[in-house]
Amino acid sequence: MIIRGVFSMSIVNRLKNLFKGEKEEKDIKADVSNTSDDVEVTSKRTVDVSVSFEKKEDGSKELAFKKDIETLEGDKIEKETVVSVSKTEEVSSEEIVEETKAVEEVEVSVDGESESDIIVEESAEEVEEASEEVDADEIEENSNKDTKGDNMTLLTDKELLNDSNRDPDFTAEFIDAGIETVKHCFQCGTCSGSCPSGRRTPYKVRQIVRKCLLGLKEEVISDDALWMCTTCYTCQERCLRSVKIVEIIKKARNIAAHAGYMAKPHKMTGVFVMNTGHGVPINDATKALRAKIGLSEIPPTTHAYPEALAEVQKICKLTGFDELIGYDEATGGLKE
Amino acid sequence: MEIAYFLGCIMNNRYPGVEKATRKLFEALDIELKDMEGASCCPAPGVFGSFDEETWATIAARNLTIAEDMGADIMTECNGCFGSLFECNHMLKEDEDKKAEINKNLAEIGREYKGTINVKHFAQILRDDVGYEKLASLIEKPLDLNVAVHYGCHFLKPTETIGIEDQAENPSILDELVEITGAKSVDYKDKMMCCGAGGGLRSRDLDVTTSFTKEKLDHMTEAGVDAIVNVCPFCHLQFDQGQVEVNEKYGTDFALPVFHLAQLYGLAMGLSPEELTFDAQRIDATPALAKALGENAK
Repeated sequence: MIIRGVFSMSIVNRLKNLFKGEKEEKDIKADVSNTSDDVEVTSKRTVDVSVSFEKKEDGSKELAFKKDIETLEGDKIEKETVVSVSKTEEVSSEEIVEETKAVEEVEVSVDGESESDIIVEESAEEVEEASEEVDADEIEENSNKDTKGDNMTLLTDKELLNDSNRDPDFTAEFIDAGIETVKHCFQCGTCSGSCPSGRRTPYKVRQIVRKCLLGLKEEVISDDALWMCTTCYTCQERCLRSVKIVEIIKKARNIAAHAGYMAKPHKMTGVFVMNTGHGVPINDATKALRAKIGLSEIPPTTHAYPEALAEVQKICKLTGFDELIGYDEATGGLKE
Repeated sequence: MEIAYFLGCIMNNRYPGVEKATRKLFEALDIELKDMEGASCCPAPGVFGSFDEETWATIAARNLTIAEDMGADIMTECNGCFGSLFECNHMLKEDEDKKAEINKNLAEIGREYKGTINVKHFAQILRDDVGYEKLASLIEKPLDLNVAVHYGCHFLKPTETIGIEDQAENPSILDELVEITGAKSVDYKDKMMCCGAGGGLRSRDLDVTTSFTKEKLDHMTEAGVDAIVNVCPFCHLQFDQGQVEVNEKYGTDFALPVFHLAQLYGLAMGLSPEELTFDAQRIDATPALAKALGENAK
């Protein structure tokens, strides 16, 4: 799979892949990843800023900032973005020239299936007759301010994704289960916007799909919100990319359950099925009610056929479901 | 015509009036409902499907083999059962590897899934196999009742696999079936929203489930309906039992009685409210029943 075709947060991921494969501990300067995410945006904003300056001060300006990124080898790649604004007498005559300042080629391989070259380009906009410099910190501050509270990104100041967070095997489980469409998601958010559970709980379906694709296993399976989906299929019906979202959620839950994240009431439903063949077994009140209206007191299900119940119990042992929920055969309850 | 009648859990073990109404209805339609002896839980898609797909598929396939042995298509009146049985049947028919894997398990209990039958929903059979005209001929007492139809989630969706002809986001099948009885289906806000019980949420986090149900009840009440009609005993339970929980939690006084579509037909065919076990439901149906049967006018 080629990252470039899938990711919208391209710069972050390209940078991430830049460091991929390095074995030594990475020391990325604080906030650099976050900042680099904003390189493009910052450049554009800078143009706006300088335009307003020129109106006020009637002079030409040049904006520049530098960022240092320590690579694993200890070398420093200096990325310099220079933004200048042309100042002429009429605004309409401004010309912006784009110049590529740095080109980095990165070998990328995701889920081991394919490789592709990804070219990271840092382009800067340069305008003729530039002169004034603007403090880089000021620009950075602006861009940080703008991204605060932006829930459309997985990254916050406190979170930094790197390879140690990722588990490619986790992503592969979805692919192997036939849910290849997990790769088709382009993060439009129609799912979250349609989700009745997302209106009232921390359940963010778009984000979970993203995390499954990125292989952020622990984040996905340890999150209680994973269990807030009612499997209503509204997201899946509306998905523009026909991603089998509910299948993704159920698969993630399977993995979570096998990793020990299972609520006791859910285990108890399993216990009911193992004991009676039914998630909601009959009770005395319903038996009486059934008899009263002329139905058989006991329905013709596993309730009436012990040998049928034995089959269900055998299946649960064959598949290891009894172990999964911690079923105690001696007591007919849960092991504690 | 013969149909393998899949009971599931909640209908027969909590709301037997639905089963009674269905048996009477199909008797009148001259369609034989044959019991699937020894059938189990479907099993619940939200619990088993969320825990262990192999267990879910093997238990579902076991139920399917019972109908295969009977040589009859399955009918279920529960969206959850429909979801599990239909999806499993579809998956095993499409995926030979999966079929082999599941059959390996089934062989241990002397069964084999062959893929010879179909799984149908009660409402689907009424519309597509029985037909509206024949249904209309059974109505003895056209009902005077305004109802909020609740479709539930695992009935028409996912449309990619479920073959019931309709529009999942703007369907009409249930509204049409309701109106044959004389009752009127009233539109309401966010009609297609989930009741909140599914996906294992009700057992895991009742507060969240209850807030779903509260929102639905708000919208149904605003529309001025007399009752709720559904085609899923789990939704039925959620609106009946869950309505009590909503009133307790939010201090509200919702009082919308809950009818499974089969009960609505039972009533229109002249079955008594007791036979339909309305007296055993949590929300008092007496005022709605009186209105439906025109007894207020008498």
